[in-house]
Amino acid sequence: MLGFLTARQAGLDDPLRMRRVESTRRVLSLKLNPDRDVDRVHGNGINTIDIETIEGRYMLTGGADGVIVIYDLENFSGTPQYTCKAVCTVGRSSQHVHKFSVETVQWYPYDTGMFVSSSFDKTMKVWDTETLKPAEVFEFEGNVYSHHLSPIARKHSLIAVGTKIPKIQLCDLKSGSRIHVLQGHKAEVLSVRWSPRYEHILASASADSKVKVWDVRRASSSLLTLDQHNGDKSKASSEAVNTAHNGRVNGLCFTGDGLHLLTTGTDDRMRLWNSATGENTLVNYGKVCNESRKKLQFTVTCGCSPEFVFVPCGSSVAMYALHTGKLVTMLKGHYNNIDCCEFHPDYQELYSGGKDCNILAWVPVLRSPDVEVESNSADKVKKKDSRSSSGLKEHDYIS
Amino acid sequence: MELFQRDRLSELVEELTTSGQPQLNQDKMKEIKKICKVSSDYIDHVYHSVMSQLNRDHAEIRLSAFQIANELFSRSHYFRVLLVDNFQEFLELTVETDSEQPLPPPKEVARKLRSLAIQTIQSWQSSYGVAYKKLALGYHFLKQVKKVDFQDAEARTIAERRREEERRRRMETIYKEIVETASNDMEESFQEIEATLTEMESCMRLLFPEFDLTNIQFAKTRSPNSQSANECSSADEQPCCSKDLMDNRRERMIQDREEKQSNVAEEGGTENNGTIKYLINLSETEDNEAVVSTLIDLRRLMKTKHLPAVQGWVKVFTKSGAEQQLLKALDLKSSLEAALEKHRELHIDYKKRVRKVMKASSDGEDDTDYDDFDEVPEKEGYEPHIPECLRAEYGLDPSPSTSTAPVITKAPAKRPASPTSLFSYSSAKQLKRLTEEEQDPTCAAATLHLLRQKLPMPASQTSCLSSHSCQSTSCQNTNDAPVVPFGLDLYYWDQEQPNSGKIIKLASQHQFWAHAQVEEEEVENKELLAESRSRYISFPGRFTPVSHYCRAPLGNGTLCQRQDRYKCPFHGRIIPRNDEGRPLSEEDRLREEQESRKKREEQNDWRDAELMRDIEAATGEYLGSDRVAKKGKGKKKKYSNLSDLKQNANTSRSRLEKKVFNKTTMSRVAQVMNKADKRKHDKFSNQFNYALN
Repeated sequence: MLGFLTARQAGLDDPLRMRRVESTRRVLSLKLNPDRDVDRVHGNGINTIDIETIEGRYMLTGGADGVIVIYDLENFSGTPQYTCKAVCTVGRSSQHVHKFSVETVQWYPYDTGMFVSSSFDKTMKVWDTETLKPAEVFEFEGNVYSHHLSPIARKHSLIAVGTKIPKIQLCDLKSGSRIHVLQGHKAEVLSVRWSPRYEHILASASADSKVKVWDVRRASSSLLTLDQHNGDKSKASSEAVNTAHNGRVNGLCFTGDGLHLLTTGTDDRMRLWNSATGENTLVNYGKVCNESRKKLQFTVTCGCSPEFVFVPCGSSVAMYALHTGKLVTMLKGHYNNIDCCEFHPDYQELYSGGKDCNILAWVPVLRSPDVEVESNSADKVKKKDSRSSSGLKEHDYIS
Repeated sequence: MELFQRDRLSELVEELTTSGQPQLNQDKMKEIKKICKVSSDYIDHVYHSVMSQLNRDHAEIRLSAFQIANELFSRSHYFRVLLVDNFQEFLELTVETDSEQPLPPPKEVARKLRSLAIQTIQSWQSSYGVAYKKLALGYHFLKQVKKVDFQDAEARTIAERRREEERRRRMETIYKEIVETASNDMEESFQEIEATLTEMESCMRLLFPEFDLTNIQFAKTRSPNSQSANECSSADEQPCCSKDLMDNRRERMIQDREEKQSNVAEEGGTENNGTIKYLINLSETEDNEAVVSTLIDLRRLMKTKHLPAVQGWVKVFTKSGAEQQLLKALDLKSSLEAALEKHRELHIDYKKRVRKVMKASSDGEDDTDYDDFDEVPEKEGYEPHIPECLRAEYGLDPSPSTSTAPVITKAPAKRPASPTSLFSYSSAKQLKRLTEEEQDPTCAAATLHLLRQKLPMPASQTSCLSSHSCQSTSCQNTNDAPVVPFGLDLYYWDQEQPNSGKIIKLASQHQFWAHAQVEEEEVENKELLAESRSRYISFPGRFTPVSHYCRAPLGNGTLCQRQDRYKCPFHGRIIPRNDEGRPLSEEDRLREEQESRKKREEQNDWRDAELMRDIEAATGEYLGSDRVAKKGKGKKKKYSNLSDLKQNANTSRSRLEKKVFNKTTMSRVAQVMNKADKRKHDKFSNQFNYALN
């Protein structure tokens, strides 16, 4: 660390280099930390998490009972111990609350004054954060599995919505109407994602085991259909042509730079695709347990030198190296299936929510002090807490 | 880390977990702690062995492993870190958080493990929850998601409680239905039972006025002589219409009693000492026949129909807790039982009911009460065999006639009944009945009467109607006379049989059409002729009942009571034995000893060596436990202390399953069936009807 600092001071290193190294180190040392808690507001499973990108301060969560909560992640107390407070809640008592399970929540990419949520009650609501009242309600024919706002769009403000109906809906925030339909899937659309690189590029994953990439300016048909065998006819059976997985595709995630696309399916596989060509990169992640019948929200780090991907895998979060497919670690802490996880790019923290009603914060372990502070045996008992937190692996016999 | 210590640790954990005890052995636990004190590597090792034991599918192993974990958890930080790190799995294995992974059997221990684990986790949480985040998370998970009530003594989850509730509700509705049907039934048959009871009551009143339980007790205190006086005094209270009737009966009863006086007097003598109950004995006579038969019918009705029904209701009501109906049913039951008891107290001396049909004595009639109450099928007219005991009833001579002497008369209508002296009756009543029966042309007695009139009997037989001397001579004659089944040879006795042994051959083969001129051809067959004239008489010899017993010593200390003629099926040839069952002759004794020794050696398998050793220790006598133990050693189980999970699987069903679903059997059966199928297929394959199956 000191070496990097001096090199940086001397101007020997690229400024990005130290940042990359340090953030990689932090990501690798992610741990369940007793210092960081998240208020227990949800009385039911947590389906979706979103952290806003403007300040990186507010976290939005949606629960299986329709409740939406906004948390403040920023710790101003000056002590490492911090419990993330719930700033405001759309609870069951609110008259505008979603009737059924909230499947997706997302901040408006440019302002925290607005967020969008969609639910199994066949509606998508655009909320005003100040008043916690919906400014606009879109209604659909089927359960809404997923929606997404483009994080970089300047020329349009479209929300892509994947519902039980195989057609992808495009809703325009400017006009407040559903302006467009993208046809091509044969089963419900479980996940939709805008490319973080090109504002008109949209990817969609469906239960018909296909992943399609669309250009919304060209309405007639999709740009690409991802093929797990890269067009090699000999390997694919006739039905498996142009399929991304051998089961439902329920997770979709672009890498930070938008060059690659990750998909997960109920065939317990995760695949990495080149988003420009639609080519399967054939990275082998091994078995990624996935039994979810709904959308699975997973995330990719950003700003590390080898990038990592965090995927919910049963009751633990699996951390893979993105390009090599190597399993780095399993983060165990939940007591039931995990549905979503979200990475905080500024602090390299991971938030995960699952069916056990917990939102767990995975925080990098502080570097242990280089100089051991000796303590006399008298206050050993008192020290127990601090030692367990700093990860010291000592055993003590009190009696 | 020393290998020795490591091995010792594994050994200790294994021993502790497979002990099957509800509590840990403190010495061994101390040893574990002592080794763990040395280094954290040992703790690591203990942790892994405990976890592997927790993964075993036996609740007792898991319980012990959990107890070890608990001991170490409170002692070592490192152990806590390790355990909390894998707390999900730990909870799954001990608290059953995953419904797809239920705790293993035995059920009792599993429940105990669960409640213990929940309590322990609560105490862990209260003392270490702050420091170990995952522990707190797990606690909250149990509390909020699994809704485990930590105050609940049984520590059930909400799902379990709901299931229990549902089950109870279901049972309640079922019970309600049952109670409803039962009470409806009761309402319906209540009247009938009441009617039966009153009928019975009045019957008994008719038979024995003032028959009451109090009366009996009252009567008990008195001598039988004074009772008659007592009854006479009570007659005044009777309604006058039935008074003379009563008086009649009472007179007779008093007479009866006086007749019986001689034998009752002895009872009465002892009765005053209060040891023997005074017995009321009613005998059935012509007067009260109708009443008694009604009484019998009523009793049967009660015993076979009402009482079981009432008992069933009582059972139903007790189970479901229907108080009111239960009281009513109990009332009914007690009154029914009282009536039956009363009836028993009467000790009615039944007349033999000859005219009962066999089928009437179907069920419910316990013969222990009324041994004298035989039911005999109706028999009239000709009977080839008459049981000796019933001869008197048929008006026949009681003496048996088994010898073979052709003294049969040659009348055309032959009765093989031996020519008898008819009147050997013991009582005047029977005589009277016989004369009555003689009027009835369908009776055997009538036929005999006719015969007697028709036949010129020897004077000695006919003249002596009631003289005993004549009877004795006839007895001598009939002693030699055989009773044989009637046959052709008897029919043509001393005559030429017209066409015996001749076979007529018809020329025409047709059924009806034949030639006008009969061309019958007769063939004489000597064999047939001889057959029709001869008679087979089988000679079984004389039956002598066996009077000796087997008397071989039995396991329970008594002697064998079998009465076989030559050979006991259990103890072999019957030989003379002394009072202890030992054979009298020397060689027999030797042989028996040898056999018993051999048997003992064969039976060694099931003998429990430990029990034998205990007995040996107690009695000081050597029984050969070592030998037994050595033999059984090879089969000994690995963990003898744990309760056997397969034990309750050893049901008749499972045993049958083992046989029926045996792999070789299945394949064999399948093969045979396939073969049969194939044969059919080969034969009929061109017919569409068979082609498909």
